[in-house]
Amino acid sequence: MDLSYTAEEEQFRTELRDWLAGSIPPEWAEPGFWRSLDDDESFRLRREWEASKTAAGFSGIQWPTEYGGRGGTPGMKAIYDEETVRAHAPQTVNVLGLTFLAPTVMAIGTPEQKSEIIGPMLRNEVIWCQGFSEPGAGSDLAAVATRGVRDGDDFVVNGQKIWTTNAMHGDKIFTLVRTEPGSERHKGLSMMLIDMDQPGVEARPLKQMSGASEFGEVFFTDARVPVKDCLGEIGQGWRTAMLLLSFERGASGVGQYTEFRRQYDEIVEQMRRFGRSDDPVARQKMANCLVELECLRYHAMHILTQVEQGRDLGSESSMTKLQWSETFQDLWEAFDDVLGPEASLERPRPDVDLTPYQAQAMWSRSVTIWGGSSQVQRNIVAERVLGLPR
Amino acid sequence: MFFALTSDQQAFAATVREFVADRFDLDAVRAVVEDPDGDGHPLTLWKGLADQGALAVLVPEEHDGLGLGLLDAQVVARELGAAVAPGPWTTTVLAAEALRLAGSPAQQAAWLPALAAGETVGTVALRGEAGSWDGRSGRGITVDASGERLSGTASPVDYPGVAGLFVVAATDAEGAPGLYLVEAGAQGLSVRDQRTYDGTARVGAVELADTPGELLSGGTLSGGEAVGAVTARGAVLTAADLVGVAREALTRTVDYDRDRKQFGVPVGSFQAIKHTMADLHVGVTMAEHAVLFAAHALDSGETGDPATDIAVAVAKAKASDAAWAATGAMIQFFGGIGFTWEHEAHFFYKRARRRAPLFGSADEHRERLAALTID
Repeated sequence: MDLSYTAEEEQFRTELRDWLAGSIPPEWAEPGFWRSLDDDESFRLRREWEASKTAAGFSGIQWPTEYGGRGGTPGMKAIYDEETVRAHAPQTVNVLGLTFLAPTVMAIGTPEQKSEIIGPMLRNEVIWCQGFSEPGAGSDLAAVATRGVRDGDDFVVNGQKIWTTNAMHGDKIFTLVRTEPGSERHKGLSMMLIDMDQPGVEARPLKQMSGASEFGEVFFTDARVPVKDCLGEIGQGWRTAMLLLSFERGASGVGQYTEFRRQYDEIVEQMRRFGRSDDPVARQKMANCLVELECLRYHAMHILTQVEQGRDLGSESSMTKLQWSETFQDLWEAFDDVLGPEASLERPRPDVDLTPYQAQAMWSRSVTIWGGSSQVQRNIVAERVLGLPR
Repeated sequence: MFFALTSDQQAFAATVREFVADRFDLDAVRAVVEDPDGDGHPLTLWKGLADQGALAVLVPEEHDGLGLGLLDAQVVARELGAAVAPGPWTTTVLAAEALRLAGSPAQQAAWLPALAAGETVGTVALRGEAGSWDGRSGRGITVDASGERLSGTASPVDYPGVAGLFVVAATDAEGAPGLYLVEAGAQGLSVRDQRTYDGTARVGAVELADTPGELLSGGTLSGGEAVGAVTARGAVLTAADLVGVAREALTRTVDYDRDRKQFGVPVGSFQAIKHTMADLHVGVTMAEHAVLFAAHALDSGETGDPATDIAVAVAKAKASDAAWAATGAMIQFFGGIGFTWEHEAHFFYKRARRRAPLFGSADEHRERLAALTID
C-alpha cells in the first residue's frame, strides 16, 4: 500500500491550488450562490471562468499536449477533481464533450475532426451536447429511431432526442442516428456530429421536478448533416457509442467523495442547529452514510490504482456508479430523516435558507436514473462481473 | 497511488488458501462442528498454519517473527474466514499484538517466540459480561490495591479452554484500565464453557478470583491506549474474517444459482436474484476495500488519531453488515437445501452472525463514527 501521490503530482496540486485561490471569488462558495443567478447568466459565468482555466493550463489534465492538454497522469486528474471541488469551482459546462467525445475523436476521428473539434471544445468556444436517449430509447439505447437519409453529400435527419444536458446552450450535438432503413437494434446506426445552429434543429427546455432545467429536448426536422461529420464508420455507430461510453471510467470518485463528504458536514451542521445531533437514530443514519462515503473514497483509490497499472476496468464502472449514486441519494434522504419537518421548509427560521439543500435532495432522485439506471447497472454487475445467465 | 495487495501479499494469501483447501476442507470443518464437546482446535491445521508463518506475521523478527504488518495479517484472516476454519488464530495473534504494543522487552522475550511458533495458544479477555467493548461500561475485571491480583469475569472469550496465556483488560484500584498477563493454571482462574451455535469456534467466560496477573508495561503503549489499540486490531482482523466469510458465501451462492433450474431456467437468470447478488457484490467489495484501508491505517498510524479511528470503525461496521447480508442470502438463494444441517450454508451464516458483534457491532462502530464527526 502506498496512498501517496508522486512529488511531481503534489507539485501540480500546489500550482493548481494557487491558481484556484486567485481565480474563484469568495461568494462562489456560498451554498445558494449559483441558484441565485439567472440560468443564462450562470452558464455565461461558468463558461468564461472555465475558458480562463484552459488558458492557465488547467484543462485537459490527462490529454496529450498535441491536443492542447497537459499530458498529466491519472493521479493529477484525481488531484484536479479533488482540488476543484475543495475550492468550490463550478462544474464544467462542457462535461459530455470533454468526458466522452474528445477521447473518442482522439481515438478514431479523422485528422480534420481532431483539429476542428478538440481545441475549440477545450476553450469552450463550442459547447457539446449528447444525443443518445429518445422518448422510446432510454435504458434500451439500441431502440434508437431517429433516422438519417442520404441526400448527396449530406444526411437528412429527422427524429427526437430527450434528456439532453445543456440543450439550450449547446452549439453541437453528437448523435446516434439510424442510417440504414429497416435496420434493427445495434445495426445500421451512425454517430453524427450535428450543428445545432440550423433551421432543422430545435431545442426546448425540460423543467425538472426540482424546478431547474439542466436537461432539454432536441427535435430534428430535415436537419442537414454533411457526410464528413460522421464519427467512425457509417453504419458502425453502435461500436462508436460503446467506445465513447467506455471513457466514463476514470478516477472521478476522488472528486465525488470530496463533494459528498462536504455535504455530509453541511447536513451535520443543520442537525446541530435544529437540536437533532443527540438523537441516536439520526446519528446511526448519518454514520451509515459516512461508512458508504468512506467506502466510495477507498474504491476511488482502488480504481485509480487499476488505471495507473494500465488495467482494463471492464464492467467495474457499473459498481462505481452504483456506489456513488446510491450513497448520494441515501445521504440526501438522511437529510430529511435527521431534520424532520424542518427539512421541507424553505425558511424554517428567518436566518436559515434550506433551499440549496432541498435542491440537492430533489436532484438526488435523478442520479440513479441517468447514465444507466441502477437497475441496468445491477444487471451488468450480475451478468458481466458475476457471470449469472441472461 | 497503490491501493492493493503487493504480489508478495497475494502469494502469501494463495499459500494459505491452498494449504487450508488441501488440508482442512468443509468435511474437516463439519467434524469440528459436530463435536461440540471437542476443543475445536485441530492440531493439523494449527501446526500447518504455524509452518506457513501465519502466527508469526506480526511478531518482530527479534522474537522469531516475520515483522510484517496488519495488512499481511488480514490476508490470513480472510482466508480462514473463507474456509470457515476453526481454531484460535485470531486470539493468539491479538495476544501477541498486546505484548508487542504494551509489553516490556522481557515480557516480549518470555512469550512472543512461543506464540509465533504456535507452541502457546493466546487469547484476549477484553470485555466484561454485558459490558461495552470500549470499556466505558462494565469492564468486568478489577485489580486489587497490590496491582497484582485480578478478580471478575470476562465474556465472551474465544478459545479459553486451550489458551496458555490470557491477555486481560482490567481496571486498577485507581480506576485506570490496563492489560494484564494471566497464565493458564493460575490460582483462582476458571473457564466456563458457554457453548455457541457457531461450531467453528469455542467460547467461554473467564472467571478470575484473586488471580495473579502481571501488568503489561514498558512498551510503546500503556493503559487505556493499549486496550484501545488491541481492540482496534481485533476489530480489523474480525472484519477481515467476516469479509472472507462474505466473499466465499457469495461466490458459492452465485455458482449454485448459475446452474440450479426452476421453471425451466437457471434461477440466477431472474432479476430478483440478480439484483440482490449485484448489490451484495458491491457491498462485499466495498467491505474488502475498507478492511485494506483500516489495516493500512493501523500499520501507518495509531488509534486516537481520528482518521485511524474512522477507518477502523468503517471497516468493522461495513464488514459486519456485509457478512450478515451475504450469508443470509446464501441460505435464501440455496432455497430449502440451504436451511438443512447437511448443507454448509449454516457454517458461514453462524460464523458471520456470532462474529459480527465482536470488538464492537456495526451499530457501536456507527455510534463511534457519529461521535467522531457529529459531536
